[in-house]
Formats: sequence, structure tokens, C-alpha cells
Amino acid sequence: MMDDPVLKIENLRTYFYSRSKQAFSRAVDGVNLVLEKGKTLGIVGESGSGKSVTALSVMGLVTAEPGVISGNIGLKNNGIQKNLLQDIEDYVKITNDNGRIAEVSKDNPGWQRHIDRILRGVRGKEISMIFQNPKVSMNPFSSVGQQIKEAIMLNTPINNPQEARQRTLYWLEKVKIDSPRLRYDNNPYGLSGGMCQRAMIAMALSSEPSVLIADEPTTGLDATIQSKIVSLLGELKSSVGVTTLLISHDIDVIKVLSDRVAVMYGGRVLESGPSTEVLAAAHHENHPYTAALLASIPTAQQIRAKSYLQAIKGDVLDTINLPTGCRFYARCRQVTEQIKKQCKYQEPELKEISTNHHVRCWRYFDA
Amino acid sequence: MIDTILEVQNLKKHYNPNGGIFSAFKGKENVIPAVDDVSFYIKEKETMGLVGETGCGKTTIGRTLLKLTPATSGKIIFNGTDITHLSATQFRPFRKKMQMIFQDLDAALNPKMRIKAILREALTVHSRLNDAEMDRRISELLEMVNLKKSKLTNFPNELSGGEKRRVGIARTLAVGARFIVADEPTSALDVSIQAQVINLLRDLQKELGLSYLFISHDLRVVELVSHKVAVMYLGQIVEMGLAGRIANAPRHPYTAVLWSSLVDKKSDESVKNEKNSKEGQWGVFDFERPYAGCRFAPRCPVYHAKGRPEICADPGLSPQLEEIDDAHQVRCYFPL
Repeated sequence: MMDDPVLKIENLRTYFYSRSKQAFSRAVDGVNLVLEKGKTLGIVGESGSGKSVTALSVMGLVTAEPGVISGNIGLKNNGIQKNLLQDIEDYVKITNDNGRIAEVSKDNPGWQRHIDRILRGVRGKEISMIFQNPKVSMNPFSSVGQQIKEAIMLNTPINNPQEARQRTLYWLEKVKIDSPRLRYDNNPYGLSGGMCQRAMIAMALSSEPSVLIADEPTTGLDATIQSKIVSLLGELKSSVGVTTLLISHDIDVIKVLSDRVAVMYGGRVLESGPSTEVLAAAHHENHPYTAALLASIPTAQQIRAKSYLQAIKGDVLDTINLPTGCRFYARCRQVTEQIKKQCKYQEPELKEISTNHHVRCWRYFDA
Repeated sequence: MIDTILEVQNLKKHYNPNGGIFSAFKGKENVIPAVDDVSFYIKEKETMGLVGETGCGKTTIGRTLLKLTPATSGKIIFNGTDITHLSATQFRPFRKKMQMIFQDLDAALNPKMRIKAILREALTVHSRLNDAEMDRRISELLEMVNLKKSKLTNFPNELSGGEKRRVGIARTLAVGARFIVADEPTSALDVSIQAQVINLLRDLQKELGLSYLFISHDLRVVELVSHKVAVMYLGQIVEMGLAGRIANAPRHPYTAVLWSSLVDKKSDESVKNEKNSKEGQWGVFDFERPYAGCRFAPRCPVYHAKGRPEICADPGLSPQLEEIDDAHQVRCYFPL
């Protein structure tokens, strides 16, 4: 049951205007997600499916126009409920045309000021984020320890530099950086990729946030380092117990770390449910897209037999020219004659097929 | 040895970070052996996988083979001809036959050229064709790599990752390459698109009889596409053999560690075991001091388990690549 949601995203829409095409790219188009306390929610999907933009929208880091245009992001911390997108309607004017959004005008500077005011005490403090590329995300001119210390002094009640230093060393140790006292004075370029990612995780956790957003934390690392980071995150999950939104296109990583999974495609959630159920290869009750994604991972038998991989035909959805029907229709292999018409012209709703497991597919609706 | 397309003998590539006109005055030599004494051969229609961590010299091998960077010493023999010391003009006919698929999709395609111009450029560099022939050849290429004709007028930034990758492959085929160095061809792609590209590469191998040197750190993909696999560590090949055997019955401790680190093989139990195992053994890599005995020793589980035998750390000795089984070579004193 969803008894204790820490973060609740409702009907989030983030659009970008493409000047060359004179049209909106609907990067995130009506996404609903719920993060339960102490649990990890994984988001999977191909690149361009809107995973990262969802995370950036939560952090208020989308600066391109028009950006976030509608939705509710409820954050509950210590009994205090906040809406991170409060009064967004005052800044956005949406013109509808036959139920589809035809025109959006947004007072972006005003909105930027407004959201910065709301997020001042939230960003980095209540919600912190681990970015994909650790080396780029850190200041190259300052030592790793200094940067974490700075974050601690800003975001926690600690304001004594000595105490903050001790706290930094505690977190560096917690993320298993060897000889933390030495590494404290290293600049980011003096650390390897895996180390740097550990330092990032330490920085993100140092403010003791109620929500941690990890955007592709293992992409770009070597296989050996990747598995180290995954096991570190797994350990921290049990020892620190922070509520995590984990974004990755690596299904194996999601499978190991998350409790619930949302599968995104073309700016929509196509399926969400317990990760053991959604990502189990033997489980047949899931969305054709999830099934196809799972099938395209080389299995042990395929490798041994050197057989062909089951690729998903075609390319990732173009979010500018969205189809009227199901977003996955063009690449779907499970369209039957019976439901073909519906698939092509009408988009299905999310339907609960078992407890807390929702799928957006016509196959699960009775004709 | 007519069916060996490429043979590499004792290839070395050393970088000198302190090089320059005053380096003689600085006294001590500080050479980084990015590729150190590497030998292998690739037969026609064969794929050799090259795996290893970042910075172990995989890409440097690929670049040295194609003479994009000169070798320090050693021999590269392509189709029976020693190409190591050929001049640029002498090398031109070979360049047609040897091509590379670059890792960085966006850096490899000129952002200001349309796809058609990119392919046309590749075709004109090595052959003279009139317009009609050119169009015919371009549509042939598109068909080979399953790319829509409508994409020809697009710029690279308007294509998806998979499409860019296919343009890169089409470009190597345009000049009639027979040997292709594929440098991390799938690393930037999603699993679904990765599967498309891998299937395409294998189809092309069957149809056109291509040979690949497949560089990747994705172990599963390497095992899937390669006939044989070489595992590199700090510039040296530490183990080489048939793909299935390297993956399922590795003999070098490093290979074993590498393959066991695949995320999906991890159950909760192994994560727990790791917690208890010694932490220090996965220290950072040290390229600048690699000569003290076996290069892998500081991280080697066998070295620690055997109570640090002296032979492993002896700076005067280093283990050699030895044949321990049929077509299976290992560089270790204590193969598993």
C-alpha cells in the first residue's frame, strides 16, 4: 500500500520548444510517480524517454523554455507537506485545441524567481542529486573534502568548520573511500572515476536528505567499478535508509537496487509495479515494451549459442510528432488484429493488473 | 598463412608525458607504456574481442594498428605486408581496407555536413565516381545498414544514437573496408539499440566477410560477438583464448575478477561476502610504476591468498604469456 509517500509527482508535464521545427517536444507528458519512505523507485527506459528530465523538473533545474508547464510535486518531510510546483498556473497559459495542447506561453523569468524561492531550502538539502558524470559535477579548483564540507555547513545545523571536517571524513569513510584523510585534500582530477562517484554520493548524502535522486550513477564506469558502486548503493540503502529515485537505462542495476520500477517511454509511464514482478523475465503479464527491453539484453544462452539478439525494431519515439494512439504502437510486436484499431487511434490508460502493478496497454482491457 | 588478415608482433606504444625539447635536461625518463609488447593475429571473417578497464590501452592498440598514431616498436602485418613503416602515400591503398568505427558518435560525424555529404566524402576520397554511380552506391550503403533514405538530408544532430552509429558503419563500408576496428561501438547506446547494432555488425560480417577487432568493456557483448578474446591489463595482454573459454573457464585471476563483476550475476550473498573481503585490494591503478614484477599483483586475489609469493612481486622478473592449453595463453605464475 502507498501509505507513506515522501515524494508524489502528479501529472508532470515538461515541454521544450523546438525553434527549427516550430513545435513542442513533449519530453515529459503527464507523469505520475510515488516514492515511498525508505524505498527505492527505479525508472528505466531508452534515452529520450524523459527519465532525466523528470528528475531535473523535480529539482527545478529545467531552464529551457517553456520547461515545466503543469503538475504537482508533493514533498512530505517531518509532517510538513509542500508543493514544489505551487501556483504554477499563475505563470503558464495553455491553449487547448481538441484536447491537445496547441500553445503554451510562460512567464519564464517570473517562474524562475518563484521556483527558486520555493526550492531554496529543498534543493541539496531535502532532495539531493547524484549526477551522471562525477568529474564534471565537481568543482575542479577545490578539493573534494572542501566541497563536501561546504555542503555540510550550508545544509546541516553544523556550522563549526572543525566539526564539519569531522563529519566530512565520516561520510567519506561511509562511502568507502580508502584513506579518507588523504583523499580529503585531493582535487577531483586526482581521483579515479569510481572514487569521484563515491565522493559525489558522500556529498549528496552529507546533507541527510529525505529524497536522493541518482541519475545514471553507474553509466560511464567500468564493469568492475560499476558493480562496486552498485553494491555501495545497496549497502547505503540498508544502512542510511534514504528514499531514492534511481534512474538508469541499465536494467540489471535497477533490478538489483530498486523496490519498485516505472518504465518510461516517450514521456509517459507505460508500466509501474514491484521490480521483482515487472523485471522478471519469466513474468508474462507486462507491457510489450518492457518485454521487448528485457528480451534485448543478451542472455547466457544467447551468448553461448551466439544467436541473434532480439532488437526492438525502429528508433526511440520522436517526442515532437507524437502518435494519437499508444506511443509504442509503431514498434510493438504484440498488436493483434482485434485491438489494432484501438492501439493506433486511442491511447490506453494505466490499468491495475495485479496489486500495485499498472500497465498502459490495450491488451489488458476487455474488448 | 593466407587467411590471416592481420598480425601484430611485439607491438609497443610508449607515451612520454614529459617529452619536449628540454626533456634531455630533466634527466629521468618517465615513459608510460600504454601498449607493451602485444602480439596477436586475426584471421579473415574472424572477430577478436579486446576487453579491459578504462586506460588499459585498448583504444591505443586500435589506433596504432591503423597508423593513426605511430608505433614505438614492433611489427604490424596486414595481408602479408609489413605496414609498420610505410609512408602516408604508400599506406593509402591499405587505408581503404582498414577502417575504424569511433567511440564518440558525435565527435566522429561533422555536425555541419548532411548525412549524404558525409557518405559522399567517404566515397570520393578513395574512388572516382560520377553522380549516378554515387547515388546508386549511397543507396546500396543505406540498404546495407538499414537506414531510411529520408535521413540523407538530415544533419547528424537530428539523428538518434543508433542512426548515427549506422552512418559511421556505412562510412567504413563505403571505402570497401575488410578489417574494421570497432572501438566501443555500443557503449553509448541503449540495450534495445545496442542489439540492433550488434545484429547489424554480425550480418555484415557474414555477407561481406569482414574481420573485426572489437574493443569494449561490456563483457557480455564481447563474449557474444567474438570468436576469440584478449584481456588486457595495464598495456599487456594477460589472457587470450576462445571466447567461450575465457568467459566460462578463465585462468588468469584478473579475467576471473572481471567476469565475476557483471552486475546481474550478483546475488545479495555475494554483495555481503564482498563486504567482508579485504578492502584495500582494489586500489587505484598505477601506470607510472608498472615494472615491479607482475602488474596485477597489488590487486590480485590469488597473490593475497597464496601469502604474497615473492616471485609475483620480484621487480626483476615479470610473468610471460604462456600457452597453457590449446590456443589459450595466460600471463600468470599461478593460473587458476
